[in-house]
Amino acid sequence: MELNSFLLMRHEILLFSIILLLLIAELFLPRNKKSSMIHLALVFFGIHTAVGFLPLAEGSLFGGMFRSNEMIHFFKGVLNIGVFTLLLQSAQWLEKNMLKQDRGTEFFLLLFASLLGMYFMISAGDFLMFYIGLELSTLPVAALAAFEIMKRESGEAAVKFILSAALASGVSLFGISMLYATNGSIYFEDIMSTLTATNLTLLGFILFFAGLAFKISLVPFHFWTADVYQGAPISIASYLSVISKGAAAFILMILLFTVLKPLMHVWEPLLYILALATMFTGNLFALRQQNMKRFLAYSSIAQAGFILLGLVTGTQLGTATVVYFVTIYIFSNLAAFGVVQAISSQTGKENMKDYEGLYRTNPKLSLVMMLALFSLAGIPPVAGFFGKFFLFTAAASKGYYLLVFLAVVNVTISLYYYLLVIRAMFLRKGENPIPFFKSKIYMKLGLFIAVMGMLALGLYSPLYDYIYELSAAFN
Amino acid sequence: MEKVIFYLLAIIMVASAIASVSSRRMLRSVVYLLFVLIGAAGLYFLMDYNFLAAIQLTVYAGGIVVLIIFSVLLIQHIEMELEIAKSSRRWFSALLCLMGLSIFLGTIYSHPFAVAETTSTTTVAEIGRALLSFEKGGFILPFEVISILLLAAMIGAITIAKGGKEIKQEVPESLDIDKILQDAKQQAEEKVMELESSTKN
Amino acid sequence: MKILSINEWLLSFMPAGAASITEMVLIALIYLTVFAVLGLYLVLLERKVAAWFQLRLGPNRVGYKGMFQTLADALKLVSKELTGTVKADKFLYNLAPYFVIITALMALSVFPFTENLQAFDINIGLFFLIAISSIGVIGILLGGWGSNNKFALIGAMRSGVQTISYELSVGLSLLTMVILTGSLQLSEIIEVQKNGWLIVQGHIPAMIAFMIYMISGTAETNRAPFDMVEAESELGAGYHTEYSGMKFAYFFLAEFINMFIIAAIATTVFFGGWLSPFGITESIPFMGIFWFLAKTFVLVFLMMWFRWTFPRLRVDQLLTLEWKYLLPINLVNLVLMAVIVWLNITIQF
Repeated sequence: MELNSFLLMRHEILLFSIILLLLIAELFLPRNKKSSMIHLALVFFGIHTAVGFLPLAEGSLFGGMFRSNEMIHFFKGVLNIGVFTLLLQSAQWLEKNMLKQDRGTEFFLLLFASLLGMYFMISAGDFLMFYIGLELSTLPVAALAAFEIMKRESGEAAVKFILSAALASGVSLFGISMLYATNGSIYFEDIMSTLTATNLTLLGFILFFAGLAFKISLVPFHFWTADVYQGAPISIASYLSVISKGAAAFILMILLFTVLKPLMHVWEPLLYILALATMFTGNLFALRQQNMKRFLAYSSIAQAGFILLGLVTGTQLGTATVVYFVTIYIFSNLAAFGVVQAISSQTGKENMKDYEGLYRTNPKLSLVMMLALFSLAGIPPVAGFFGKFFLFTAAASKGYYLLVFLAVVNVTISLYYYLLVIRAMFLRKGENPIPFFKSKIYMKLGLFIAVMGMLALGLYSPLYDYIYELSAAFN
Repeated sequence: MEKVIFYLLAIIMVASAIASVSSRRMLRSVVYLLFVLIGAAGLYFLMDYNFLAAIQLTVYAGGIVVLIIFSVLLIQHIEMELEIAKSSRRWFSALLCLMGLSIFLGTIYSHPFAVAETTSTTTVAEIGRALLSFEKGGFILPFEVISILLLAAMIGAITIAKGGKEIKQEVPESLDIDKILQDAKQQAEEKVMELESSTKN
Repeated sequence: MKILSINEWLLSFMPAGAASITEMVLIALIYLTVFAVLGLYLVLLERKVAAWFQLRLGPNRVGYKGMFQTLADALKLVSKELTGTVKADKFLYNLAPYFVIITALMALSVFPFTENLQAFDINIGLFFLIAISSIGVIGILLGGWGSNNKFALIGAMRSGVQTISYELSVGLSLLTMVILTGSLQLSEIIEVQKNGWLIVQGHIPAMIAFMIYMISGTAETNRAPFDMVEAESELGAGYHTEYSGMKFAYFFLAEFINMFIIAAIATTVFFGGWLSPFGITESIPFMGIFWFLAKTFVLVFLMMWFRWTFPRLRVDQLLTLEWKYLLPINLVNLVLMAVIVWLNITIQF
């Protein structure tokens, strides 16, 4: 192994050096200068994000345990932008609430560690690395969910999260052990060639799938979602629903389309049913929510159902549409959570009722929110429409007409509740509207990036072509 | 001989596992759990996986169980007993567990596993080399990534243990007109008194 | 099993299955006897040493110069009534002493007393010892909790904190020496030392490791100056306050055996085990047991010396010592040892 082949792990090495640098900086910075940690972390991560877009070779390291290709590289870039936006959006909250308690740096350390776990997870070449990546991406988030430890709900959210995550990863590990027992190897390459659909393999696959389904909060495993999102700090709810879910969906896609392809006749109907259940449950529950975080939680469950729609196909078109949709979803949800974050960190209000009359006091914020919700619902001018449209095309191309029809029904339902928020903001005149406020520059930048992402993905079509080209790697 | 020891260990493990989940005293559950873990270590010894057995003893029995006992010592009093679910629920969950168990056992036993012809004792040196090898079959990358995982877990634990103060939402002070008026009045009176005393002198 | 080839002797008049079972029983009996005698005489030794340090006579009535004093004490303890608190968790209360005593007994089984006298030559010997010793603390925790007594509970908690912390140093300092030996098997560790005891072979880092090992070993056995666990003046008797009779004796014996074990590990790893200095008695194999015990008892004496020299530490001082001093020194020392072995600047005869 040559030294420069380590460059393949550029993302990971850079991010880990940032973690170490921040750790050391935290030691040596005097107590009254802690606010500069936020700027430092943002600058570091900004550089990391920018460097991440430099082209990277294809290949695998450590005897196939770590692999990278252009698609994985691209997706890491997307995750980077997402996390960067998220950091920008949470800078204000950190500075205002957390620094006083001497807990600013830990936020970055834990978040970056979790992101590092996702890198390792999506470029894993064997089940061991996959599992460790999964753990590394989950554990720090539990600590982050308890970040506002003085709030009771925050601690509760963390406990709920860690318990369900532990169960899920245990189940998943059991499944992996069965796959290992039947195939005698943990490397994806080896398993791909020996995997056959015996009873034990199927059992292993189902258990393994359950663990990942927990991460994406597919329906039978979604119970933690709303409670955790509501209790955790908004940044973390946003992280869970955007970055964590995106990465998990991506790795699920890779695994299903490559390693577990021999079991396609099993997972196809499974995903079919789960997609329907997830969409309907998410959408129907979202109808009744009053708290914005819970509302977004259920909406994100419903979105996960749409992701499955693309996964069912198992073709290159499916890969491309899933990645495209997930990318759009990341930006749209980031915008929505960003607005909730901006309002909450200024006024502490999180209920839908509080948003009434927002347009009169804060027109820019409500415009951003409207765009984000339109994108989530899939209304033409913004990217979300194309994302859903392509997904439906992919599903229809494999002949799943009924599934597409039911998905369209779901889009209609979701449109209703997204419009409820928009109605509250634009048409209602609240009794006690949120007063006008100016966000800090970081927040503005964060929202700007999210909106630009949504618009660019929707209006600039070469991006989709680029993703389609990349997705040839997995079929 | 080996078979006898195996079944002895297995019976101890299963019995302790059942006792562990059904005991109403928390610490007793932990001790039963300890027996399960020690039993597993015994199985490893039986299979000549000495290193793994010792790891099982140090990490699980000596490390994790001690930590669990510690936290039980901190939060539980000796006279406290865990709640017991309604009997209908207990039967229901027992039934579910049995169903799950039968599915798993049925599947595992019906699978035609290939029996290894030769077994060899893994030496510590081999394990060490495998841990540091970066060829196929080497584990250096997971080894390093786990160290990052532990670092992150440590930071997370410190973050939670550090605690924090109550966040006070900055509420703009409401104008208490009465109080302001009263203060002003008091100040004015003091001024007048002062003036009066100074003119007297 | 190498024990003086009992196996062959048994096989000469028994079927194979019965022979192996009889062999096990015999060995177990031998070790139990050794265990009891050793425990009793270590207690006597401690009392004599204490008396010597304090310019007293010590026990001198029962037998020649008090030879049978502890035997009489043991008889007294056996005949005593077993008492306990009413609201104790009886199951755990009764279970606790066995954890302590069984782990001590298991640890004893792996030591090579001479070249041929070793019950269980496992290939991970040293690691097995560390693993076993980490379980003993569970007995103390359970005993402290099970007796439903404040002082006992505090003592148990302190013991847990102490053992978990100092286990690291014990493990790491032994690991430092393992770099030198290249094996965890105790018989092989001694084999390596035919070219010079390891404390000489590894010179500076080995000595540092030895010092750290002795400090943390003393802490592991909960002896003064680290006896917060049973600090008489603060906690009554600590975790075994509520124990009486034979159950108390178990704890008491195990404590002394643990001291012996710590000293025996040090002997094996640092001072050549049963090897005689400069090979002077190489031609007489059974002299090994003499050298082994002599070295071990010198180290035991060292630990007793600690006890009567240093004042007790506070809990925070104890943790500071471990986490801020011993552990970092240990890690640096580990690297130093690795460098020394790598550059091959060890001293060998």
